Amino acid sequence: MKKNILFFAFMLLVAVFAVNNKVMAQEQPHVYINPGHGGHDSDDRNVVIPPFVQGDTMGFWESNSNLWKGFALKEVLTKKGYKTSISRISNTTADDLPLSTIVYLSNHSGADVFYSIHSNASGYGDATYINFPMGFYRGYTGQPVNPESARLVDALGPYIIENKSTVWSRQDYAIYGDWTFHSEWGTQGFGVLRGNNIPSMLDEGSFHDYYPEAYRLINHEYCWVEGWSFSQGADAYFGRLDMYDLGLVTGTIRDDRVERTDITRMLGADKRVPVDGAVAKLLDAEGNVLDTYTCDNVRNGIYLFKYVEPGFYTVEVSHPKYFTKTAEVEVKANAKTYQNFDLKRVRDTPPEVVEYSPVWGEDDAPVLCNTPIVLQFNWDMDTESVEDAFELEPAVQGAFKWEDANYRLIFTPDDAYDIDTDYKLTLKKTAMHGGGTPMEEDFILNFRTQSRNHITKLAMFPEEGDKVHCKAGAYVEFRCDSLLAAKDLYTLFHIYDKDGNDVDINKRNIRNNKKGDDYGYIRLSLLKALNPDEPYKIVVDKEVSDTAGLHLAEPITVNFTAVDAATMATQSLAIEEFEKVDDFTLTLPESDVDGLTGNLSLSAEKLFGNKSLQLSYTFPDDAENEIKVSMKMPPAGTFNSTDKVGLYVMGDMSFNKLNLYFTSPNRGVVKVPLTDVSFHGWRYVDALLDVLDDGETYVFAGLSLEKNGTVMGRNGAICLDNLVKESAVGVDDVSTRSNVKVMPNPASDYVVATADGYIMGVELLNAAGQVLVRNAANYVNVGDIPAGAYFMRVYTGGSVTTHKVIVAH
Amino acid sequence: MKHLLLSILGCCALLASAQQVDVVKHQRLLQGVEGPAYYPVLDQTGTKLLFASGAEYGLKLYDMSNDVVTRISNERCAGIDAGFDSDGNVIFIGQSINENNLIYRTGYRYDVKRAATDVVLEAQHGAVNREMGSRGVAIHGPRKSYASAQNIGTAVNVQGSNLIITVNGKQRSCSPVESYAGYLWPSLSPDGTKVLFYAAGAGAFVTDLNGKVLARLGNYEMPCWYNNDYVVAQNATDDGHQFTSSQIMLLKADGSFRHELTKPTSMSMQPTSAAGKIVYTSIDGLLYLMEISIND
Repeated sequence: MKKNILFFAFMLLVAVFAVNNKVMAQEQPHVYINPGHGGHDSDDRNVVIPPFVQGDTMGFWESNSNLWKGFALKEVLTKKGYKTSISRISNTTADDLPLSTIVYLSNHSGADVFYSIHSNASGYGDATYINFPMGFYRGYTGQPVNPESARLVDALGPYIIENKSTVWSRQDYAIYGDWTFHSEWGTQGFGVLRGNNIPSMLDEGSFHDYYPEAYRLINHEYCWVEGWSFSQGADAYFGRLDMYDLGLVTGTIRDDRVERTDITRMLGADKRVPVDGAVAKLLDAEGNVLDTYTCDNVRNGIYLFKYVEPGFYTVEVSHPKYFTKTAEVEVKANAKTYQNFDLKRVRDTPPEVVEYSPVWGEDDAPVLCNTPIVLQFNWDMDTESVEDAFELEPAVQGAFKWEDANYRLIFTPDDAYDIDTDYKLTLKKTAMHGGGTPMEEDFILNFRTQSRNHITKLAMFPEEGDKVHCKAGAYVEFRCDSLLAAKDLYTLFHIYDKDGNDVDINKRNIRNNKKGDDYGYIRLSLLKALNPDEPYKIVVDKEVSDTAGLHLAEPITVNFTAVDAATMATQSLAIEEFEKVDDFTLTLPESDVDGLTGNLSLSAEKLFGNKSLQLSYTFPDDAENEIKVSMKMPPAGTFNSTDKVGLYVMGDMSFNKLNLYFTSPNRGVVKVPLTDVSFHGWRYVDALLDVLDDGETYVFAGLSLEKNGTVMGRNGAICLDNLVKESAVGVDDVSTRSNVKVMPNPASDYVVATADGYIMGVELLNAAGQVLVRNAANYVNVGDIPAGAYFMRVYTGGSVTTHKVIVAH
Repeated sequence: MKHLLLSILGCCALLASAQQVDVVKHQRLLQGVEGPAYYPVLDQTGTKLLFASGAEYGLKLYDMSNDVVTRISNERCAGIDAGFDSDGNVIFIGQSINENNLIYRTGYRYDVKRAATDVVLEAQHGAVNREMGSRGVAIHGPRKSYASAQNIGTAVNVQGSNLIITVNGKQRSCSPVESYAGYLWPSLSPDGTKVLFYAAGAGAFVTDLNGKVLARLGNYEMPCWYNNDYVVAQNATDDGHQFTSSQIMLLKADGSFRHELTKPTSMSMQPTSAAGKIVYTSIDGLLYLMEISIND
């Protein structure tokens, strides 16, 4: 007995010695944990996701999740026999330790490695579909300042990326040197790696502005698992993977088909609803419940069983609204076992349509020709079987859209329904809900359509083949028979140059119809000048639609040419320049018409000279009223029936009628229709004067604007510049019939006018009627005027005469 | 309300004691000679300067009296926590990593006259840190320690959130300020009567040799003594990832006055001071020497 006791004591001593030796051989690794920034301040990355509001500390804050990961890592490493230090244990502003402080604490802690734990943000807003982990060491990618830091990152990566509770947008652990990734910082790099004298890394475990991930990161257990992953990375780095015996089981519980609608930005399985409140149980081989976990209500579906002995288990997941589901899992030492669940919802009655639209009966008014068909079901539906069971007679091409987690179907026709047509929808009873049960009977819906199914173009400028004045700011206008939906309407209008390049429009000068207008319209303004004599094209998309959603039957294409309107008249002589308001009298109809107004003024919008004459007006209704503008004294220059008269008009696309008046002592006043003002911008319009009596001489007496008899053009303004006579005959006539003479002719230096009376001034004009030189004397210097044919206008007391002049050098 | 009154009183005190501070010298050091230089440390005479050189933070010594730069150690990070012994020689700590990736730290002493480095504390795993005393330097490790003199005199050190003050061989440990993460950058005033340290999350403090707080200077990092009455420190801000501003501050040790020696946008940091000189570096490793005059 004594011998046995002695032997036992000896063996005990040997065992103790052996254990001590092992400890001596393998000293305790020391890990410094930096759980990112502390506090709930503006720099602590609050992501607002419902139901949490901005600033709610219960919502997502990176400072929270980093800390929970850090706590978990500290807890697990301690169990694994590590020594740890951590830079914060609470989440206050005071915990927001400065970078230099964190580095000093790490350097003086005696630690062997340093982990800085973070999550990432893309900053891309709603465009964010990015979620993957990243690890950083100090230095350039592939050229770490400390190679051990790169090894530390390499060791961690596999354990972070193996996370199957999340959905990654890329399947590798992205590793970078911070000097490469943040090249904009130069070699400044991450502050916690700068000056850190031990192997150190910064991990961005996932993207917290990927919304499903933000929900997961609110869950402590999800963060705990990431902490465990860090411990595995440390084990791999220190060669201790085989020194821990326990594992864990975790995963995500989601609906097997219902898609979530509370957020945007979802990838893969994240599109489906997580099952809040699901209960997960860990069962041993005998069916004994070893652990139970109830999912939180924060829309992540995460469950976790910590510190599980290696072996085979059953995980059972249940929820009152779902069928219970089980899965067999194997737990291995120092490893994570992922088991996700897709639960099938309990749907215990057949599906049926509970609401629908349009609701129509024989006595009801017909429905709009683009009315969508909406079916609301009592269950979330199997979309494929419903769409297969959907039969519309007559057949219509259209698109299906599912809403409300597949409880609501919306069918929208691609084009409008036919007019005045009875339609019948049959949803056959083969339509099934998400659980696979079909409807008990067909669903029938009838409706009749209205007699209008597209919008109709009333007018457009330019129309096919039009000439458009090339000046910047030229208008393009489209009008139709109903008010257009204004939102982003301009994007459906495309203007191309001859090479197919887009012509820019001025987005700050777009005018749309507004409520109460008589017709729909949009007026665009071109940003830059067009190139004269080059072709352009306008394409109006078919999708241009009115406020009721009706659109064009077909797209519209219009070709036009840019011109310089000032050069459109040839061999002409300016008879009237419209430079003075006082030369005109405005006359409204003799019978008072309420609301009929007119006004004359000078406008800086001119083609020639200094100004143009602007006539602004309001017609109270569509009656054919007429506003007259008369010359107080007719200008010099006569017309006869063989002449052609031209006028430069800046139009307002009113479609009002512009007329000219001529008078002769013998025949009185004659009205000459000139044009419908169907255009915008400057245009040269002319008319033959063959309505004048042959052999009779007329002078220009004035003009009128006449309402067009439609809903268009009730108010507006047009500008008038030179009125010209397209014949040189009259020039000589004028010269001959006066005592005014010009000499020399041809001239090279000066052209001098003489007359019986006092000459008030002279002007030299080109063939287009533009005044090139004006002088309050009886001469003009033509020394710098290019050789060619010109006209000299001579002002004498009470009259003006015009003379053809040749300049030759 | 009480806090508000205290704040108002504090502001009044700061204004009432406003001093005139003039920068009389401000120049780049080693321009065109050296690459990036960090963690500068002046010796007591203000003529020699240690700094961490380049991305790997090797240790160099710059003798300002003859403009000679000497490389002391190529070891990575040797320059991060180096210091002068009271005799002007250099104490620094090196690292090596064993097959299990554990870090072993070794204490070194560089003899300036001999231009030779000796191991003074053998490699050991764990925290190995310097302690500066009025008569010498100690290097403390978890198993073994080294002291350059039998009695290093009045000394101050930190361990976690403990301030350890040694006077006449008698050690006193105290925690005058609450700080979970710990104390940093301890130093003794030139006359050996006051202690300066930084408490993580709380700021820089001055105590007497019994650990009694004499002044809270504010949240300024890397504080060091300019003279017995003034302290220079770093005032940095960051966004959690990188520095967003950093400047050098002059602080009166009684907490009654502070003055910006550089602008926040200068990204100046890591000050050291001795013999009326201030040396600091910039975020991109440019060394500057500054001399000031203070009219109290």
